[in-house]
Amino acid sequence: MSTDFDAIVVGSGITGGWAAKELTEKGLKVLMVERGRHIEHGADYVTEMKSPWEMPFRGVGDPQLYATDFAVQSKNRHFTEYTQNHFVNDRENPYSVAEGTEFNWWRSYQLGGRSLTWGRQSYRMSDHDFGANKQDGHGVDWPIRYADLKPWYDHVERFIGVSGQNEGLSSLPDGIYQPPMALNVLEKHAKAAIEAKWPDRRLTIGRTANLTQEKEGRSACQNRMICQRGCSYGAYFSTQSSTLPAAQATGNLTLITDTVVETVDYDAKTKRASGVSVLNVKTGERRRYAARIIFMNAGAFNTNHVLLRSRSAAFANGLGNSSGRLGTHIMDHASTVGAIALFDSFQDRTTFGNRPTGIVIPRFRNLGDHAEGDFVRGYSFQGGALRSAWTRGKREPGIGAGFKENLRNVGPWRMVLVTFAESLPRETNRLRLDPAKVDAFGAPLLQVDFTHGENEHKALTDAGKEASAMLTAAGGKVIMSLNRPGVGGSAIHEMGGAMMGHDPRTSVTNRWNQLHDVPNVFVTDGAAMASSACQNPSLTYMAMTARACDTAVKMLKEGRI
Amino acid sequence: MQEEISRAGIGRRGLLLSGMALALTPADVWAQVAAGAPLPDRHRTLVTRVCDLVIPDTDTPGAVKAGVPAFLALAIGHGISGSNAPVAAALFTGGKAPAEAGILDWLSFELDLKAGRAFLSASPDMQIRVLTDLDSQAYTRGNEKSPWRTLKGLIVTGYYTSEIGASQELRFELVPGRFDPDIPVGPKDRAWSNDWTAVEFG
Repeated sequence: MSTDFDAIVVGSGITGGWAAKELTEKGLKVLMVERGRHIEHGADYVTEMKSPWEMPFRGVGDPQLYATDFAVQSKNRHFTEYTQNHFVNDRENPYSVAEGTEFNWWRSYQLGGRSLTWGRQSYRMSDHDFGANKQDGHGVDWPIRYADLKPWYDHVERFIGVSGQNEGLSSLPDGIYQPPMALNVLEKHAKAAIEAKWPDRRLTIGRTANLTQEKEGRSACQNRMICQRGCSYGAYFSTQSSTLPAAQATGNLTLITDTVVETVDYDAKTKRASGVSVLNVKTGERRRYAARIIFMNAGAFNTNHVLLRSRSAAFANGLGNSSGRLGTHIMDHASTVGAIALFDSFQDRTTFGNRPTGIVIPRFRNLGDHAEGDFVRGYSFQGGALRSAWTRGKREPGIGAGFKENLRNVGPWRMVLVTFAESLPRETNRLRLDPAKVDAFGAPLLQVDFTHGENEHKALTDAGKEASAMLTAAGGKVIMSLNRPGVGGSAIHEMGGAMMGHDPRTSVTNRWNQLHDVPNVFVTDGAAMASSACQNPSLTYMAMTARACDTAVKMLKEGRI
Repeated sequence: MQEEISRAGIGRRGLLLSGMALALTPADVWAQVAAGAPLPDRHRTLVTRVCDLVIPDTDTPGAVKAGVPAFLALAIGHGISGSNAPVAAALFTGGKAPAEAGILDWLSFELDLKAGRAFLSASPDMQIRVLTDLDSQAYTRGNEKSPWRTLKGLIVTGYYTSEIGASQELRFELVPGRFDPDIPVGPKDRAWSNDWTAVEFG
């Protein structure tokens, strides 16, 4: 196999797949390097069609195994016996946290990365978001605005297939959608009640990368809601279902798995990256690959990790880190249960099928000229209404035939609103190389130092009150409302560390996602985020990637990099 | 150890009278507990009977025919829901228990205590009364840590994830193929056991 390529894409997840597709379709010879195992679309989704009684631990999983091998991953609600093969082994893949802090780093090291396990919610960021840092002074100003990304959001949505409803909201720009999935009877009722009382609020169906119409060899969603096992219908966007086949169809893609990129190598003479040094994690073999451009798509924190490890005489503290800001201003979303309410209404109505998305109530706070509440920026809610299942039997008294008879029927309606609040970019929330601990191959561990700040706490407190008020207005009886965020990482939206900005002295990447210091290295995963907004971020990463690929190829052709 | 067992009073009597434990000394019993045997003989009969009382055969097979006792053995052996943790002495209403007492030891103690005799030798009516009493108490406020909630949770999970519970008592469709957002439902309609979001949040 050749070791010289036009481009090397580090990682095969949501953005790595996109980089591979775009660059190969533009004619570049691309090497995509994935640290984890190969997973073949369909054939390797080994639990996809299993029923609970076919699983050794009925889908609950083995706590003894989880304690030894999946101590962090098993705290993730998407981690089950059906999906455990799509998450990393924590024992084999350690990281550290700064003293006195906690961070749940939920990861999928495999071909397709977290595109196999993601939540599929697909939202555009708005100019409220791109302008926020400049407006309130947190972080550094984004060097792009919505108009820069809009055509690329269009491009991405057209290709991956997103179902949803356009609403004309300034906080959540409209997109190019397949027909929306349906609100259920209680959600429709709640929508009417909430929008009647608060005309500036909107309840709409989640915009989700699950197809409602067939698309290029991919089936429409079967409403199973077991996406994270892998979907052989190809009904949700993943690398395997979507970008990888497109990249492979060009004949320009070389894919290697079980290979971790240890460093991006820097040539001080040309002031460019020359390639990557890799380690085959199965054989222990090390080698180099060369390329004209490098796309960093390892997943936000791992992209930081590789750059921090890429030390040279010119960049003693990590590649592209002349600002000293590489690894800083990391973010997640501050998330908790805004409210859960029980409903007496619609007892004679129910649903059939498992819709793979919930509802969303987009951000409505601090969108105008005057501040609302004692916090900056905003939050949104995701959730939905459902009728309780047999699991209610665990928390209800009763034994015998009557108990069994009761659980035979659907339970009461309940509605849940989960808050996602914006996480402000702070220099003190950061990644660094652990000064002492190393992995099995001798590499320094990535250390995470992250805590949610006061603004996030205030936003969640406001959100808890508003969620309770909205569910009450819809006729519900609130049984729970929380306002403390989960441990950092719990939203699985960790991002930042190589933030975009105008100024090489205060940011790591420029408006085209190039490292300010090394223009042939593009960072287009979550690492490049300069602020978090409160939307699920993956669609933005994809749009940034497609845009950067377009730019990179133009620059290559023009001889500028 | 002997001293502690004696102070357990009626609990000790209950233990010795319950089923297969008759030939064992208290020291033998607690040695087994300490060794972590998941479902020793002295508990197997009790677990089977309790599963049957919680989810009996009706017009569909109940928990015993669905294999729930075996699931309980697996679940407790591996500690699902923390079920392999020692039960705090304070939770033994019958008196102080040895430090290593497990969840089924607790169940045995409490049921024998409430029955005033070996639970398994009580009449079916009395067994229902005793277990109903234990269950009601466990679900009152302040008793959130009752080991019975853990055990009943495992019985419920074991049953409704079995083929019988999931697809005969309830309905199961791995590939619904469509989503109906608003359809009528009556008291005779069986719920879907694989409404995953409701299973998780409901």
